[in-house]
Amino acid sequence: MRIAKRAQAGTLQSSDLMVLVEPATLLVVEIESTVKAQFEHLIRERILQVLDANGVTAGRVRVTDRGALDYAIQARVETALQRSAET
Amino acid sequence: MVQQLGPSERDRARAFIEAEGLAYEDGFDDLLGAYEHGVLVGVGARRGSVLKMIAIAPSHQGGAALGQIVTELVRLGTVAGRDAFFVFTRPDHVPSFEALGFALLASQRRAALLELGDGLRRWLAASRPLVREGENGAVVVNCNPFTRGHRHLIEEASRRVEALYVFVVREDRSAFPFAARRRLVEEGTADLRNVHVLDTSHYAVSAITFPAYFLKQTDDVAAIQMELDVRLFGRHVAPFFHVRRRFIGSEPFCATTRAYNETMRRVLPSLGVEPIEVERLGASGEAISASRVRDALRSGEVGRLEALVPPTTLRYLRSPDAAEVRARLAARQERHA
Repeated sequence: MRIAKRAQAGTLQSSDLMVLVEPATLLVVEIESTVKAQFEHLIRERILQVLDANGVTAGRVRVTDRGALDYAIQARVETALQRSAET
Repeated sequence: MVQQLGPSERDRARAFIEAEGLAYEDGFDDLLGAYEHGVLVGVGARRGSVLKMIAIAPSHQGGAALGQIVTELVRLGTVAGRDAFFVFTRPDHVPSFEALGFALLASQRRAALLELGDGLRRWLAASRPLVREGENGAVVVNCNPFTRGHRHLIEEASRRVEALYVFVVREDRSAFPFAARRRLVEEGTADLRNVHVLDTSHYAVSAITFPAYFLKQTDDVAAIQMELDVRLFGRHVAPFFHVRRRFIGSEPFCATTRAYNETMRRVLPSLGVEPIEVERLGASGEAISASRVRDALRSGEVGRLEALVPPTTLRYLRSPDAAEVRARLAARQERHA
């Protein structure tokens, strides 16, 4: 899958996250989180897994997290990717 | 449920906003309401990248309504091409926005500015190649357009510091478009080796975009906006560039600029930056200013321009590139336009 346009998914509500993806030449993942100090590496790992599973090798992924659990991270990133691929 | 409020619902929104002790301001791209069981429990608006008039009913504060409204405003703003979002609010509301992921940029007694999206850090990181160690200085200029006066200020300042950073105001609401303003500064200072020209990105608090909805009618809106701007510069921008001195032109006739200079003298020293006023350059008995250049263009007195602007700016003003600006000036009258 290729990030063809800017897209967004998720919310800023507690226990959720907002994901913004947009085209870029390199793969960049930026994370803002209320639990950044403790969990940034796990959030990043999860996002990279989803990107990898979808064959995404380039794009900018920005995440504002409010303590979302794994499955929420996965669902929000997947949704953002699907929206970014639609024409 | 959050939905866009149409013209027929504006009065309800206004009453709601005023009941929360805020003022309704026209001029927005989106106005949203959060409804619960058919009752309006919150509203919020967006103008460009600025979120404003966000109000939640007391019975629903601490609940989900704030997050719902802000989420939807950010989503709509993103669709409209924005990727940084700002909130101006009362200082006591800062924690509610921080809980949504906003970061505090500046605050003073009556007002605070927060940002969503980590843009300040990214903007600074992108400017890192220009950072020089040492005793550096800065000027913040609109240069609408670049004059001999700007050149004098920058040249004087550049002699007194190791590196001088010239921040051109990014906000594109001046007679001369940002790209032209910046280019003329670059061309007009190209021979000064220690001068680095960059722009303020979103990190100048502009009088044009500053919303006053959360202030009292008796508050001095302009003074609050200026102080936020100066605090943002002093706290975040100056330390990153090792700026110890900010240079400003002395201001003989514009009250707005004079008030700005006074704010800098009051606020900057406590943030470790020394404000230094540089005497304005005169031409035929009068201080040179960009507004005199615009006046000359407006009235077609092109002969006066040579004394006011350096050759680089003059070349541009005479070129076809500037035709549109000349036409626009003829139609506008405000001082800072």
